[in-house]
Amino acid sequence: MSGKDRIAVFPSRAAMTLMKARLKGAQKGHSLLKKKADALMLRFRQILAKIIETKMLMGDVMKEASFSLAEATYSAGDFSLGVLQNVDKAQTKVKSRKDNVAGVSLPIFECVSEGADTFMLTGLSRGGQQVAHCKELFGKAVTLLVELASLQTSFITLDEVIKITNRRVNAIEHVIIPRIERTISYITTELDEREREEFYRLKKIQEKKKKMRDENEAEKARLQALGQRKGR
Amino acid sequence: IWVALLLDKPKSTMDMLQLGDWTFNADNGYLEGLVRGFKAGILSEADYVNLEQCETLEDVKLHLQSTSYGSFLQNEPSPLNVSTVDDKLKELLVVEFEHMRNQAVQPLSQFLDFVTYSYMIDNIVLLISGTLHGRPASELIANCHPLGSFEQMESVCIATTPADLYNAVLIDTPLAPFFQECVSQQDLDEMNVELIRNTLYKAYLEAFYEFCQELGGRTAEVMGSLLQFEADRRAVIITINSFGTELSKDDRAKLYPRCGKLHPDGLARLARADEYESVRVASEAYGEYRPLFEGVGTNPGDKTLEDKFFEHEVALNKDAFLQQFQFGVFFAYIKLKEQEHRNIIWISECVAQRNRSKIKNYVPIF
Repeated sequence: MSGKDRIAVFPSRAAMTLMKARLKGAQKGHSLLKKKADALMLRFRQILAKIIETKMLMGDVMKEASFSLAEATYSAGDFSLGVLQNVDKAQTKVKSRKDNVAGVSLPIFECVSEGADTFMLTGLSRGGQQVAHCKELFGKAVTLLVELASLQTSFITLDEVIKITNRRVNAIEHVIIPRIERTISYITTELDEREREEFYRLKKIQEKKKKMRDENEAEKARLQALGQRKGR
Repeated sequence: IWVALLLDKPKSTMDMLQLGDWTFNADNGYLEGLVRGFKAGILSEADYVNLEQCETLEDVKLHLQSTSYGSFLQNEPSPLNVSTVDDKLKELLVVEFEHMRNQAVQPLSQFLDFVTYSYMIDNIVLLISGTLHGRPASELIANCHPLGSFEQMESVCIATTPADLYNAVLIDTPLAPFFQECVSQQDLDEMNVELIRNTLYKAYLEAFYEFCQELGGRTAEVMGSLLQFEADRRAVIITINSFGTELSKDDRAKLYPRCGKLHPDGLARLARADEYESVRVASEAYGEYRPLFEGVGTNPGDKTLEDKFFEHEVALNKDAFLQQFQFGVFFAYIKLKEQEHRNIIWISECVAQRNRSKIKNYVPIF
């Protein structure tokens, strides 16, 4: 966009005061938004570090959990079909709540386990302990997954908001404020010019007046000189 | 096959000739020879050491080609995964078993039917729970174990309520007597599906034991020891696994098969047990089970009680082959093949998941 535009106002002192007020407002807005962007950035970096840590942990936990499934299948036979057939209500549920960071509401997911364990007796006659161990490990994996999910959604939401905020900061800094400043300088120049015009006009009028007075005096003097000669 | 038969000559034939020995081979000689031949193809310790050193599942496939498994994985598209190996191994066993079953005459055919009932119980429990939760029939039937298939499988899926199921369908299946003995219609509705499974299994074990005792002779001897161990093992494991669950002591006592060595004193003590120690004390009173409880722990590197039970089962099954002219060899062969299957899958999983820490946790057979 062209960098030379300014707001179209009639240059007057009132407009000047108005523009000055707007400039002040824009500057305050800019600093507030900058603070918001900084706070969001800080939170963003923290979340990033946590995501990396959780993903590494996730790799290990999933590996352990799959291995424990292999162990359980060794002792208990293929119990997966029985488990799949008997599933009805979800035992582990995910609850979401909102967390507010510098005005941005981020979703946080929590893992909630409710209801009795319908599969407590799986592997009763063989491999029960391995099945229970497997259940435990996969439960841990699910909790970790839910944590990772909430971290990732926060990451994405924060990313969007940071982009928007930064865009606004830059807009104010590079567009709004220069425009207002240009408007102010335009008004100033106009006012100055008007003053100079006014001054020049006054000066010119004074000159004219002086000239007229001089002419009048000269006329009067001439008339007087003429009168004197006539009066002898 | 005949060479294998000669090499496997049992030592006891000379001193314990029984009446059934003369007529056994007329009906069952071919099949006994066949099963002994199959037994010779079971993987040895050296094969397992080779498998342990594989880096990928392709290596495992390569090593298995040089054993009696041959190229059973030949037509599978790569990349190979463990569930394909699992399915193919199961298929092989089913083919071998069906061949033997088709050639068998009474009473061997009924014996082999009894062997399939344990798979049938698993299938029926799967079908019942699936039907009651509304799963499509084709999916359920595809997931059933082929060794346990029976004609009325589809009709189980048609029933919609437990009442229907009980009165119309289950009566026609070969497992009807087991249902009648211990599971009422109300139980089907309320009982946890695991309890139904274990109750059926208890009735099955007891019926199988009686059948073998009726056959008499060497079969009764060999199968007797195998089934008694199975019964006692189930009782102990059910007890240990029921600590901390909602299973009451009375319900638990109803699940103990009564054909084992622990009946009746050991079972009574197990029924009252509250923790692992009392179970151990109750079982150690019986000499053969004492060494199984030693050296058991939950530290990494220790064997669990289940592992010890698997080892003892393999030892008993191997002993079954020492006697000729009895049906125990068929049962033992199936069980040993299952253990081998478990071993191969265990090693494959360790290789596929690149976690070799516990790769030695299988039970070598020969």
